[in-house]
Amino acid sequence: MAGLVLAAILFVNSAFAHKSETVNEKVQAAFKQEFVQAKEVNWNRTDNYLKAVFKLNDAVLSAYYTEDGELIGVMKNLLSTELPINLQTSLKKEYNDYWITDLFEFAKQDATGYFITVENADQVITLQSTDGFTWSTFRKAKK
Amino acid sequence: MKKIALSLAIAAAILSSGFTYAAETNPSNFIKEAFSKEFAQIKEVKWDIVGKDGIYQANFTFNNESLQAFFTEDGEFLGTNRQISKAQLPILIARELNKAYPEADIRAVFEYSMKDGLAYYVTLTTSKGAMVVKATGNGELTVRQRSKQ
Repeated sequence: MAGLVLAAILFVNSAFAHKSETVNEKVQAAFKQEFVQAKEVNWNRTDNYLKAVFKLNDAVLSAYYTEDGELIGVMKNLLSTELPINLQTSLKKEYNDYWITDLFEFAKQDATGYFITVENADQVITLQSTDGFTWSTFRKAKK
Repeated sequence: MKKIALSLAIAAAILSSGFTYAAETNPSNFIKEAFSKEFAQIKEVKWDIVGKDGIYQANFTFNNESLQAFFTEDGEFLGTNRQISKAQLPILIARELNKAYPEADIRAVFEYSMKDGLAYYVTLTTSKGAMVVKATGNGELTVRQRSKQ
């Protein structure tokens, strides 16, 4: 699970894509094996990885690969109403007077996590959930 | 053991999707208080009894979505159920469904959120028939029902 968190931090901080890319056959084959029905696939190069942006089941996903075709992780931006219900109700109970500035799902191999950043006038808090049921504080900073 | 039986009863209700045994009711204040604790901002609720195990089902709107919450007669909150779109499926489940059933169409998805875990019931159709697959957040799939065309 620590790997999932570290990977998520990495992408939150450095997932800025550059120009469109063509990728090697190894990466193409690895992608096709994982995402059989992917549509509208576009490849970009980030600072450290190759990034495929594509549609699967009408959702837009980003998958990150090494040059060797190793899948590092998959990310999906979310609306708060797309979170599992218990995560929505927890947010309403505990962070009702905060606003949401970032929300995404990040999956790695067989683990998935939700990451949300909320702010008020005084602080910025990032929460994580790896069980889809409860939030825990990932990091907190004063403004 | 009772909790497992209740979970199975709710799962069966979801799978039958018609909530066959549902009957409108007015639950005790004890159950209403348990509901308010979980969903403080919700004022309009319709109550049913589901199955034969005394499970109370609250039907209401939350964030503009239709939602059901389940409680025991002792006021214990069991979990929630809602219908979601296939685009809302968690990444690993979407990936595994597409790998396992590349020719299938996803017709309906229910998110079933319990204290002991989160599960999704997905109805798929192929040229051969329909099936209901239970999926967990890590992408594990189990076929729960099949019907031939």
